[in-house]
Amino acid sequence: MDIINTDVLIIGSGAAGLSASVYAARSGQKVLVIDKGAVGKSGSTVGAVQIASLGEWSLNGDSEETYLKDIEESGRGLSDPELAKILAGEISERINELIAWGLKLDVDEKKEVAVFSTAGHSISRSVSARKGKTGLGILQTLLKKARSLKDNLKTWSDVITLELLTSSERVTGALVFDLTENKLSIIHAKTVILATGGMGQLYPVTSNPVQATGDGFSLGLGAGAALKDMEQVQFYPVSLKAPQSVAGFCISFYHYSRLYNKDGHRFMADYEPWTLENTTRDKLSLAMASEVGQGRGTENGAVFMDVTHTTSRVKSDFPHEYEMCMDRGVDLTTDRAEVGPAAHFIMGGVQIDGNGASSVPGLYVTGETAGGLHGGNRLGNNALSECLVFGARAGQAAANESAERENRFSTSLNGYVSEWLQKLTGDSPVRGKNGVSPYDIKRKIQSVMDEGAGVVRSDKGLHQAREKLEKVDVLLKEAKAPSLKPYSREVIDFIESRHMVRTAKAIVEAAMHRTESRGAHYNEDYPGLETKPYHTSVTYLDDRFVCQRQPFKGDR
Amino acid sequence: MSVIQVKIERDNCEMSFFEVAYSTDMTVLNIIEEIYRHHDPAIAYRFSCRTGLCATCMMMINGKPGLSCMARAKPGEEGYLTLAPLPKGHTIRDLVKEV
Repeated sequence: MDIINTDVLIIGSGAAGLSASVYAARSGQKVLVIDKGAVGKSGSTVGAVQIASLGEWSLNGDSEETYLKDIEESGRGLSDPELAKILAGEISERINELIAWGLKLDVDEKKEVAVFSTAGHSISRSVSARKGKTGLGILQTLLKKARSLKDNLKTWSDVITLELLTSSERVTGALVFDLTENKLSIIHAKTVILATGGMGQLYPVTSNPVQATGDGFSLGLGAGAALKDMEQVQFYPVSLKAPQSVAGFCISFYHYSRLYNKDGHRFMADYEPWTLENTTRDKLSLAMASEVGQGRGTENGAVFMDVTHTTSRVKSDFPHEYEMCMDRGVDLTTDRAEVGPAAHFIMGGVQIDGNGASSVPGLYVTGETAGGLHGGNRLGNNALSECLVFGARAGQAAANESAERENRFSTSLNGYVSEWLQKLTGDSPVRGKNGVSPYDIKRKIQSVMDEGAGVVRSDKGLHQAREKLEKVDVLLKEAKAPSLKPYSREVIDFIESRHMVRTAKAIVEAAMHRTESRGAHYNEDYPGLETKPYHTSVTYLDDRFVCQRQPFKGDR
Repeated sequence: MSVIQVKIERDNCEMSFFEVAYSTDMTVLNIIEEIYRHHDPAIAYRFSCRTGLCATCMMMINGKPGLSCMARAKPGEEGYLTLAPLPKGHTIRDLVKEV
């Protein structure tokens, strides 16, 4: 087995991981960035359309204070004020830095930076690059910068993380599986940054890439980190439901659209009469799920989206999305599209401080894997902003800590390694050809989460989800041993399904402990808000989940 | 639902043949996923965003390079949908190139 040494190990290579890598490498530390897919091409960043910003292009009336107020209002009382303040205070600097590194913001017909409105923001402040392929533009800029630091910064694609290694309650590296060579490796590091993105693949319909299986939450739990507000799963309200080949594809221009139920009624008039469709994602998802739940949806469990009154604006502001719909046979100039909520983002995640440090020494977390900034509802286009600002901070802080530490800990590895070797290759009497396939286990987890922990939740549904996830654990133990040929899809599903079930359990535990409806968490048994906000906190100790309520910062 | 005949060029130019359940709205990636689920769990393929942006799912489709998540599945020469890894660079296995 190979043993690799580095100063800072970064797991994940989207905007968060790459920002962190650039900052860590600039301060002279040896940095290794790993990704279970192709580095720089395998996370949710790729699909990001715009980024919320402040800069010289900001409209009159916009400011750090206004931005901060929008984040806090959107967060339904759960947004961490320290993190929100950092975001509003540093986003301008981070975007200007990307521009200095080569990113070109899209301009309007007057050749000035185009600034777009986004639902939930009180003022237009979103910008884009590469004609709405903003995430791609940012990744290319960061990859170019990373390459210029190649003496300190190495990348490694197609290697999936099985466990974080710990020694004396400190994270000391990771046990990984190289998919191309089919072998285990150990990476020793002075600090580790988790930047593995989200968990949309826990649900059957998602906007997220196939890699978004919640690995970072599961790895964090395994290392002893606390997860905050994991019940806060954002469903992107308006995503295509049909055709199947593009199910989950997000429609960014829903604030221009009109939504109708199957009876032709513009139902948002009943839920949000003042803002109609131009409202926040939590309210829109709940309204849409309620219409479908009450039998006013289409056969595909969807509602209709109509933009025929404003197609020219859609074409000019969101060309990629317009073309994508057209290509799959949905002509928005004449047709209504069938749309519904898709799992999109998790506001909850590993609890961090302002530098991305988790509660476990040596472990930093950034991007979607970290929790707290967005509270109960993430504003549109704030995901990339979070990645840039907190990626940079985590990278810098991890590098500083690594620089102060002389030696890496070596961890006793026998337990980890033999356990995983047994899982990957071992045969038990119940295993072999009759076990359930890893793919079917993933499907099972998705259906459990859809039924019990979707947009509309209930006590009964959550209890059933908890029981069913216990049964999935049994299935995992009896799962068919995966094909161990290089890069077989089955090995990936086998490993990911383990992370998925641990993350799914954390979401269900947190949801059971929030006995109110706040932000993206709606429990029909408790439709109202409790007076005093609190956080949920989930940890994993000795194979058991422990969930607690935590008072809000500043409260006693 | 009808079927489509699929031919995949795999390691050492070995060919695999599959008969896959098919409807006309399926993409090439949908077909490969059908093969993974019902025919060959060891098949190696790469994809991520499913929306034509990341380009990691690019492969030879009926003799031409294309994104498997965007291209509709259609039979080409001799009635087969023919898939192969991109010609340039090292092939890890099946349809997966080293990145």
